Amino acid sequence: MSAISSRQRRTFLESVRLRAQPLLKKTWEVVSAVSVRVKILGMMLGLVLLLGAGVTWQVRNSLTSAFYAQLENESITTARDLAARAADPILINDLVGLQRLLLETQENNPDVRYAFIVDKDGQVLAHTFGSGFPLALLRHNQAAPGEHHRMVVLETESGLVWDTAVPVFEGRAGTVRIGISDARLRATIHALTLQLILMVVLVSTLGVLVAVFLTFVLTRPINDLVQATRRVAQGDFSPRVPRWADDEIGDLAEAFNAMTAELARADEIRREREQLRRQLLEKVIATQEDERRRIARELHDSTSQNLTSLMVGLKHLETLCDNPRVRLSAEELRGVTARTLEEVHEISARLRPRLLDDLGLAAALERLAHEWQARHKIPLDLLIHIGEERLPVEIETAIYRIVQESLTNVARHAGARSVSVLVERRGGDVIALIEDDGCGFDPAQSPGERRLGLAGMRERAELLGGQLTVESQPGRGTSIHVQIPIRNP
Amino acid sequence: MSRIVLLTGLLFLLAGCASQPAIHPVAVVDLTDLQPLPTPALRETPLRVAVAAVISPKGTVESYAELLQYLGQKTGRPIALVQRRTYMEVNDLIERGEVDLAFVCTSAYIVGSKDFGMELLTAPQVNGESVYRSYLIVPVDSDARNIADLRGKVFAFTDPISLTGRAYPTSLIRQLGATPEEFFSRVFFTYSHDEAIYAVANGLADGAGVDSLIYDYALARDPSLAQKVKVIHQSPPFGIPPVVVSPNLRPQVKAELQTILLEMNTDPAGQAALAAIGVEKFVLIEDAVYDPVRALMGDFFFDQYP
Repeated sequence: MSAISSRQRRTFLESVRLRAQPLLKKTWEVVSAVSVRVKILGMMLGLVLLLGAGVTWQVRNSLTSAFYAQLENESITTARDLAARAADPILINDLVGLQRLLLETQENNPDVRYAFIVDKDGQVLAHTFGSGFPLALLRHNQAAPGEHHRMVVLETESGLVWDTAVPVFEGRAGTVRIGISDARLRATIHALTLQLILMVVLVSTLGVLVAVFLTFVLTRPINDLVQATRRVAQGDFSPRVPRWADDEIGDLAEAFNAMTAELARADEIRREREQLRRQLLEKVIATQEDERRRIARELHDSTSQNLTSLMVGLKHLETLCDNPRVRLSAEELRGVTARTLEEVHEISARLRPRLLDDLGLAAALERLAHEWQARHKIPLDLLIHIGEERLPVEIETAIYRIVQESLTNVARHAGARSVSVLVERRGGDVIALIEDDGCGFDPAQSPGERRLGLAGMRERAELLGGQLTVESQPGRGTSIHVQIPIRNP
Repeated sequence: MSRIVLLTGLLFLLAGCASQPAIHPVAVVDLTDLQPLPTPALRETPLRVAVAAVISPKGTVESYAELLQYLGQKTGRPIALVQRRTYMEVNDLIERGEVDLAFVCTSAYIVGSKDFGMELLTAPQVNGESVYRSYLIVPVDSDARNIADLRGKVFAFTDPISLTGRAYPTSLIRQLGATPEEFFSRVFFTYSHDEAIYAVANGLADGAGVDSLIYDYALARDPSLAQKVKVIHQSPPFGIPPVVVSPNLRPQVKAELQTILLEMNTDPAGQAALAAIGVEKFVLIEDAVYDPVRALMGDFFFDQYP
């Protein structure tokens, strides 16, 4: 039995919890969604209203109880008094005096709704109703002759009436009936309630004003902080929030200011380092290019000349010597020298194509594409729309190196069936787009060497104020997009 | 925001109407539903007995209850006791035939017999005789020894046409060569003898003239009065207040009532009823007995009450 009931109770509690949970959640959603201003206002208003309602309720109840007790007492006292004074007029049949007595009683006590006297046979001798009489009244509240009084509460169209019957002269002269109405009392209580409610409204209004001020005081520094934080998030470390008050929020403001100052300093250092690094990088790249150019020239001018002389010498040797073995060797050597010469040319071109310096980016890229296609046997589609006007030399170099590196990567990793390279001048920018249909890769998880290569390409673009984006997915090919602004044409 | 307003409204609604103290009206009555009062059902014509306000209305009800009950038994008719504030009002009722039998004061009989031929039926007999006196009473600690000592004091009259309560004291003042209004600082009417006794006993009046029968009866019922009032003067005997009937009463009824009253002392219930009003028995009485009173009252009374 108890097991069942405890289980039932648990089930019941569970169902209550299940029902209450969404409600709590909803309440929390509403409470947490509103601003601090509304929260403080709500707190203040809620408190005042709760207090006001509680006090009003309590005062009203206490007053009503006290007043009702008083009415009851008043009804009995008035009836007893009337009964004492009515005896003689009844006995000497002074109906006019009796009527006057009743009317005076009613006049002197505004709570008296009615008063009347019935003789011992139940005939109404006098009453305060004017013309006519509510006969229904006679059916209620009949006091026995010996009784002190008898009181009942009647409900009438004008509210409750405390009706008291008191026998006159021990019932030998009839009965006095008096009805004390609660109309005046109710009016008093209503007036009082209204006053209380008015008071609560007044206090609420005051409370709202105070709350608005309080909210202003409280939220102004917070709003300042929020705005300052947004600016910091955008990289502006200059904002400082004023310390409005010497409290926790003031401490927060101070801590925030200290933090932004520190951030600003750190940012300054970082900028300096970045600047330094860029300068260094620029220098390295420039030096590298110069070095390559020098080596390439050296190879082309000096080494090639020497190799050419060597070939001429070997040819001469062939004609001079009759020994067939020597002639054969010389011919072989001449072949080796010719291949070496070719390789030297190739190395020189790869290091720094003279075309780039002499004829510009378009010619250099065409040569690069041609050679790459010849070497790797992968179809390459090259499109160049950069006009006749030459680009700044550093941009030409950067674009050339990026395309070169990309093609090297394609040859090395992609396993592509075709490649397309697009270079064009668009507005004030140069755009380069290198796409392949190879195996692709995940840019976020590419191996170190390749990532380093990509980073170098990006570095080159960024040094010139441009940007480079890599889009690739395994199995979906790779596309590299470069955009570099032409600052000084 | 609307939720807050709603909540507030609810709160005050709660405060406004909730939990009135538990009052349970027994019935619903519409006090504006006014209807003419029903006329009392016609009943057997009662024998209407008036008792002049010799004593206060409540005292009369208490004293005469047994007598009225006895009369009711004997006549087989319901009895209605009729009281009025003054003697003259009772006289008017008798004259108009609205009262069958009346216990009146001597002076009222004098006036009634003169005005419309009020008829004597019987008279009570107390201490073997059918006379009574006017007592001049004062508070027990008063220095006054006679009416002359009450000059400038407050004096209580009973009824305006009372013999013992007004006519006799007034005749005493006249002998001193004054009117009561000049002689006393203030006079007032109590309309009954027991009230006059209490007025003196309680110091409301410095003196009063009262019916000797009432005084003795009151002292017998409330011995403590002897500690408060004393009699300083007695009048000569006057004819006792009689029992009268209207001249228009049917002779048979008059004879029946007379017989009942005269034979009351022969029957235990009658004796008890007689004892309650301090009477030994009822006897026949001659109108001539009242002539001295007529003479006394004639001096001044009929000048004022023609």
